[in-house]
Amino acid sequence: MTTPLIQISGLEKAFSTDESWLNQWRLQQGKIKRRKDNVHALNGVNLTINQGETLCVVGETGCGKSTLARVIMGLTPPSAGEIYYLDQRIDQLNDKERMFFRRRMQMVFQNPYASLNPRMTVYQTLSEPIAFHNPQLSRYEIDEQIEVLLESVGISATSSDHYPHEFSGGQRQRISLARALSVEPDFIVADEPLSALDVSVQAQVLNLMMDKQEERNLSYLFITHDLAVVEHFATRVAVMYLGRVCELASTTTLFDYPKHPYTQALLSAIPRLDSNTAQPIRLIGEVPTPIEKPIGCVFQARCPYANQRCYESSPKMILQSDASSVACHAVEEGRL
Amino acid sequence: MNLLSVSNLNVSFRLKHQDLAALIDISFTLNRGERIAIVGESGAGKSVLGFSIVNLIGKPGHIESGSIKLENKELTTMNLRQLQEVRGKRIAMIFQDPMMTLNPVITIGDQLVETIRSHTKISYKDARNIAIEKLHHVQISSAEKRFYQYPHELSGGMRQRVIIASVLLLNPDIIIADEPTTALDVTIQAEILQLLLTICRDNGVALVLISHDLGVVSKVAERTLVMYAGRVVEEGPTLEIINDPQHPYTQGLLNALPQMTLPGQRLNQIKGNMPSLAERPTGCAFHPRCPYATPRCKQEQPGFIHSGESSVACFMVEDMLSEFADQSDQEVNE
Repeated sequence: MTTPLIQISGLEKAFSTDESWLNQWRLQQGKIKRRKDNVHALNGVNLTINQGETLCVVGETGCGKSTLARVIMGLTPPSAGEIYYLDQRIDQLNDKERMFFRRRMQMVFQNPYASLNPRMTVYQTLSEPIAFHNPQLSRYEIDEQIEVLLESVGISATSSDHYPHEFSGGQRQRISLARALSVEPDFIVADEPLSALDVSVQAQVLNLMMDKQEERNLSYLFITHDLAVVEHFATRVAVMYLGRVCELASTTTLFDYPKHPYTQALLSAIPRLDSNTAQPIRLIGEVPTPIEKPIGCVFQARCPYANQRCYESSPKMILQSDASSVACHAVEEGRL
Repeated sequence: MNLLSVSNLNVSFRLKHQDLAALIDISFTLNRGERIAIVGESGAGKSVLGFSIVNLIGKPGHIESGSIKLENKELTTMNLRQLQEVRGKRIAMIFQDPMMTLNPVITIGDQLVETIRSHTKISYKDARNIAIEKLHHVQISSAEKRFYQYPHELSGGMRQRVIIASVLLLNPDIIIADEPTTALDVTIQAEILQLLLTICRDNGVALVLISHDLGVVSKVAERTLVMYAGRVVEEGPTLEIINDPQHPYTQGLLNALPQMTLPGQRLNQIKGNMPSLAERPTGCAFHPRCPYATPRCKQEQPGFIHSGESSVACFMVEDMLSEFADQSDQEVNE
């Protein structure tokens, strides 16, 4: 088997809650102690992304999806864990060493209104990365590349001297994608690229992403909360909850046989068009804040199947017979 | 008699050089206890319609013509005082972002009590009891404690529940919900929709749900209005519209959903974008994007025709129906 393009093991990221120095002193059992609170955004994430596949990461707000994307891209350093690109470790590189990998990995952000510089024309936005990473190119060659690039994402090359505000949301997201493609990467992280778009426009952007994947054998890490898109687009799906991956499976397996209780609840909550779907599984309570590192399973508070063991020890990812892996004591014990 | 009837409503935004028509010739009715949905993409005029019903359109927008009747009272000509009797008490509104609706510097309890006491003359204590009862009603745990908390102490789903409670305080006849679950996660969205549905059913409240998500609409509404560029293009029972859409725009909207194609296949996209108000195409506003457009569509605006239980504004459907009628006439003659 070939080496996976991206390999992540034991990734952790904690953000300090940034209380002022004075607020960190607490009275505990008659003594004054200094305590720092940390938000554990990622809690030991293991994932691999193969070449040419789309790995979708789904989960609710605050489960660490976006942090995962930013840590992989090197926009925030991880607290612990390792990230490999092919067989090179990339999480501890300095800016200069990272340069090569910046070309290979690109990102598309959620909000196309905020991720394009409003004071740069489309031409400037696209020429900057091309010229930066290919200093040997002449002005004429850059112009040519931009023209090809814009046409390939369905934007007329004549509008290259327009500013972002002159475009609609869908067009802006296509320009973002063109910017990511401009340095010919082989891995693109897309953080909720469709959530700001309307249904019909969403289809346009998603089609474009699939076309580009076929053309260039791109791999995507696609972060979203829209399960309908996931079902359509993903090769494999990772379900995240409170900084952990709780189920990882190929798309068809996950949608046909969801195993983790959280995945089951998530899938049942999709508002589908056909009227005869079952009632959604109701989860009690809401996602707890990840300030304290939880003891035991992260899902214990909302899980209908939780028992004593779930409160005491944290479940490990266990490979199932259908090649999916699930982190759940109930599945492991066959209670579910 | 209809609870709410909107007829030939035109709303426009008056700018320096031109009038931009945001709503054109909108007519629909709402019966007591009925749940309808208004669907469309951004810029279709869904929210403007929601705001117009309670006359909340701010300048430079204004209601140009048409009438909005609540039972037999005309809402468009009311003065502010009369409107305030209607707003909240008869027609209540839920907005998209619960954080923007709640005042961040006033406790939840005080906001609820203020709502009650500005409409009815009762003591703070009685109002407090009503508020806590309504908080229980929307399944907020430890309502007595929540009463004294500030909005930032609650999660998004919880805040939306508080809003629903505040809307219920005065027992309105109609709730207008403008994208009530767009800012929420799927699991929370399912709960909030279920809550809205049971509340409307149990209390016989009519609901106008404004949404862009056809999945959400199919779960809640009995009847659906599809809007495009300020006009209603199709109206009918929700199931009918979802299973057998007539208007090319509705068809496109449904076909664009990822569920409609096999995984890995390209999605069916509607080419182009919704036109802006200033650049409304002549004739049927959908014709530049419509796969079936004819020269006639560029010049004339199609009127509503009935097709089954729904009504559609489209020449293609009209032609098809008349062909059918001709055929059956011939068969009868033969």
